Amino acid sequence: MKPKIAIFSLTGCEGCSLAILELEDQLLDILGAVEIVNFREGMTERSWDIDIGFVDGAVSTPEDEKEIIRFRESCKTLVAIGSCACLGGINTLKNYQPEDEYRRYVYGDKAIWFPTIAARALSAVVKVDYELPGCPMIKEEFVRFVKCMLTGRPFELPDYAVCVECKKKGNLCLYEKGVICLGPVTRAGCDAICPSFGSKCEGCRGILGHEALCAAGVNLREQYDVSLDDVLADFRLFGAYQEKDLP
Amino acid sequence: MLDRIIKQSDFMSVVRELSRQRRLVGPVAREDRYFYEVVDEPSKLDLSFNYCVYGPRAFLFPPTETLFTFDQRDGHFEAKPVLDNQPLAFVGVHPCDINAIRLLDHVFAEDHRDEHYLTRRENTLIVGIDCLKPCTEGVFCADMHGNEAKDGFDVMLYRLHEDNDEVVFGVVFGSKAGREWMLYSRACRTPTAMDEREFEEYQRMKAAAFPRRLKTQFEELPALLDRSYDSLLWEATARRCYSCGSCNLSCPTCYCFNIYDEVDMSLDSGARKREWDGCQLEGFAEVAGEHNFRPKTASRLRHRIYRKAKWILEQTGIPGCVGCARCDRACTAKINSVEIYNQLAEEV
Repeated sequence: MKPKIAIFSLTGCEGCSLAILELEDQLLDILGAVEIVNFREGMTERSWDIDIGFVDGAVSTPEDEKEIIRFRESCKTLVAIGSCACLGGINTLKNYQPEDEYRRYVYGDKAIWFPTIAARALSAVVKVDYELPGCPMIKEEFVRFVKCMLTGRPFELPDYAVCVECKKKGNLCLYEKGVICLGPVTRAGCDAICPSFGSKCEGCRGILGHEALCAAGVNLREQYDVSLDDVLADFRLFGAYQEKDLP
Repeated sequence: MLDRIIKQSDFMSVVRELSRQRRLVGPVAREDRYFYEVVDEPSKLDLSFNYCVYGPRAFLFPPTETLFTFDQRDGHFEAKPVLDNQPLAFVGVHPCDINAIRLLDHVFAEDHRDEHYLTRRENTLIVGIDCLKPCTEGVFCADMHGNEAKDGFDVMLYRLHEDNDEVVFGVVFGSKAGREWMLYSRACRTPTAMDEREFEEYQRMKAAAFPRRLKTQFEELPALLDRSYDSLLWEATARRCYSCGSCNLSCPTCYCFNIYDEVDMSLDSGARKREWDGCQLEGFAEVAGEHNFRPKTASRLRHRIYRKAKWILEQTGIPGCVGCARCDRACTAKINSVEIYNQLAEEV
């Protein structure tokens, strides 16, 4: 029996759902191995008998809250895909602004029709079985995840920093150019795509762990000559770290 | 003792000859730095480079490589090894990196022969270029005996002087293959007594040009570390360490790897691969049952320093560190190994 797959979207750009369709070369092979039964971005049919449900977007509206609970109840395995679903993503930027301000600024005089709540990751609302973070989700990681599910092998995210992939690619470290990049504290798996093109890592795959975060706090205060607030803004961009200060 | 003398232009023409038979790898300028890269044209090599950001190990021991492919589609299991025997030549390798390759050669040949590494290595010609002075600030190669290579190369070049704006190299052969290749060129001549005197002067200048940066003699480092296992320095330094592995991954002597399988979407075929690993990464020492031998940053940091200055030397007789300071430059937390050794030396 092929596993029945669904792909859902909450508040976000749906770029992670789209990333699945962008797996052009492998899409037919994947479709041969699984059965997609519910996918707004790709088909009209709908079924609620689901083995694995992938969800992109954050929980950012009362409607999202109801939907994610329905998805959880309908899916044997629930997988958060992308930074919004795993971390809250850029949606969380509104959490630092007064509600009436951002609603007016986004919806203008129609704001009254669009209720909103503080943006959260899926795991803040329901139990999430797996997370495939990144903005967008890493397609290759999605394929690896599907293979693990099909072969019954355990799936694990890389438990090391972006620096590992960056150095494997032979990049010149941005720290050598005086740039504070979030690579050392951010989960790898993206093949260091941003530093490889000269941009600092902004942590879209989330923070590796508390120890790395503590080291960031010490280094930002004692070693680097940069503004702590600027770096905290980078930490917040994708919702990787939402506290007021570093440990 | 020099074997031959050759002018740079004549040397480049023998390199051109070499490029017809081998893939050339050498220092190439990029982003105000130098990197070892494959070049299609010898003129892209810059032998006046100061240092390369990474050593050439990636060409012998790639960051990710396929060990074998497997296939069970026709009902029977078949595995095929993948070996890379393309002839390769490194042109422009400093003594530190030659010494690092000597260690890799030892590690991948002893106990368990690693055919993947050794096949590449056996097909690699190494042309070294000696350093008359430290390539950049912060290196401690002289302390680690890394700034001189007595063997491990096929040919070694010594920049003796300039003649009409052209460098004249003294040449030392390290292997039969190196000798045959160089003697192919009629342009290299036999050294005279004057050349030998110049080479002696070169050695004297070199000895004076490399400052010592460690307070401890190389031979004393294992004993220093023996006394320092419980030092508070490890915890104090670990506060800053991200465990990002940048030191491991930029180190020319690090050889640890992780092995994993990748299956194709058919689930009937795939490949066994390996990738660089590093002892600073939290999952490195985790074993079945989720036990981790070094769960704390401080224990991992100490482990790396012990490997580099004590354990590898004791196990193999070859220094585990060549003093190139790539780890220090690569450290995103500005942790400095020279400072670590010197602080430990002050403690006792």
